[in-house]
Amino acid sequence: MNILLRLQLFFQITGHYASYFLAYIFETIFFLIFVFVSLIAMIYLFRKYMARLQLRYGPNRVGKFGSLQLIADAIKLVGKESILPKLRDDFAYKTAPYIVFIGLVVGFILIPYGDFYWIGSLTITHSDVSLILFFGAIAMMPIGEILAGISSHNKYALLGAMRGVAKDVSFEVPMMLSAIALVMMDSAVNKTPLEFSSLVSTQFIPFGILQPLGLFVFMVAMIARSSYTPFDLSESDSEIVSGYSTEYSGMRFGLFYMGMFGSIFLGSLVISLLYLGGYNGPYSSYAGFIYLLIKGLIMVLISFLIWLSMPRIRIDRFVNFGWKILLPIAIINLIWAGFLTLGVIS
Amino acid sequence: MIEVKEPKRIPFVGMLQGMFTVFKHLFKKPITVQYPEEKAYTPPRFKFRIFLSMDDCVGCTLCEQVCPNLSIRMIVVERNNPHNKRNLYPQVNFGTCTVCRNCEEICPTEAIYLTHELETARTRNNFFYSPQELEKTEEEVKK
Repeated sequence: MNILLRLQLFFQITGHYASYFLAYIFETIFFLIFVFVSLIAMIYLFRKYMARLQLRYGPNRVGKFGSLQLIADAIKLVGKESILPKLRDDFAYKTAPYIVFIGLVVGFILIPYGDFYWIGSLTITHSDVSLILFFGAIAMMPIGEILAGISSHNKYALLGAMRGVAKDVSFEVPMMLSAIALVMMDSAVNKTPLEFSSLVSTQFIPFGILQPLGLFVFMVAMIARSSYTPFDLSESDSEIVSGYSTEYSGMRFGLFYMGMFGSIFLGSLVISLLYLGGYNGPYSSYAGFIYLLIKGLIMVLISFLIWLSMPRIRIDRFVNFGWKILLPIAIINLIWAGFLTLGVIS
Repeated sequence: MIEVKEPKRIPFVGMLQGMFTVFKHLFKKPITVQYPEEKAYTPPRFKFRIFLSMDDCVGCTLCEQVCPNLSIRMIVVERNNPHNKRNLYPQVNFGTCTVCRNCEEICPTEAIYLTHELETARTRNNFFYSPQELEKTEEEVKK
């Protein structure tokens, strides 16, 4: 029983087609609310955590423990004047933030969320190739960034976008290779190895223990894809200001900001699905979602710790790191996964 | 040219050490002082606001002469004080006062002295304290 069928049963008085229609609409609304609430919770968590690591209190004025601070900030962002550059490429300039945000939302849709007590499965979309679809969805986000950089008609924005492209290109390949190693392992057992849920179901021992190198490569690549410190090359105060989002203000900037925080959460969820056993655990047929959430949150906290304790690195070192260190490690991991797969088959 | 041999370092170990150092701060207490609710510690020798005892003031204008920033000006206040026949009392501009404590040093009757009060925030262009205000505490001046 999944959430769609529950909703369909609830709306059954309205007739067959109408009930499915309403169920889809309500599922979409629930999902969008989930994404927004998780993003807001994420940013609040980040600010509190960052403050505690820097021996500060963090937001504590608006609401109890500053819990309404984010809502106040959102209202402030909406109320801000949206300043547009004069020589912009209008259509591209205005669609770029939405492309980034839609890529993020599509990435969230494809994740299997596991079971949650009587509601049953919380998974929204079922697809046989959800892993590939997920990589396609997050590959959409750089397009928005490049569009933003080029259409702003600003040298710094363009440079930031170009650096973002360099980053994405040099870290996509090791990420894919480490994912291929997982698909290899899974294909020995399952018939649909390109699906997230079948990848999770094979992990009696989490893949992170079997392939620690793969976990390392995937995590570093995910951090680089989400473009936060130490890999936030597309922004630096003294050289290229704020990168591709230099010219953006108001809610359009807010969408970029939410895209970044959302991709951290998304990446943590994917790492916990692929390498840490996802929604597996004791009584996971009832509380699988909670296991996924806890594992994801731990990964988020680790990535925030990395964010807070590392300096930004130089672009040439960074690209070298992607091609000369991570790629060989990923290939070694692939060979190791091949040995493991042979062991499983024989 | 002298070549300095760097010690051989194991990759990622330094990063992990740095992360651990940052992580340890999570279990420490924040050092922030929540200002209006909590007050930071002020040393006992810290003095800021000038206080004036109008009964002791003899109107000698020494404080006006010694003030390096011309913060102190003598003004006339009609008051029945047998020691102060000219009715001259100091008026202080705290916008320019640098707390050098020269006036406290030079005052022959110890009429002027500095107190521990430091929160003298006021509206703009209103830093002048009249002799009557100098005699009161900060709480009373705000009223």
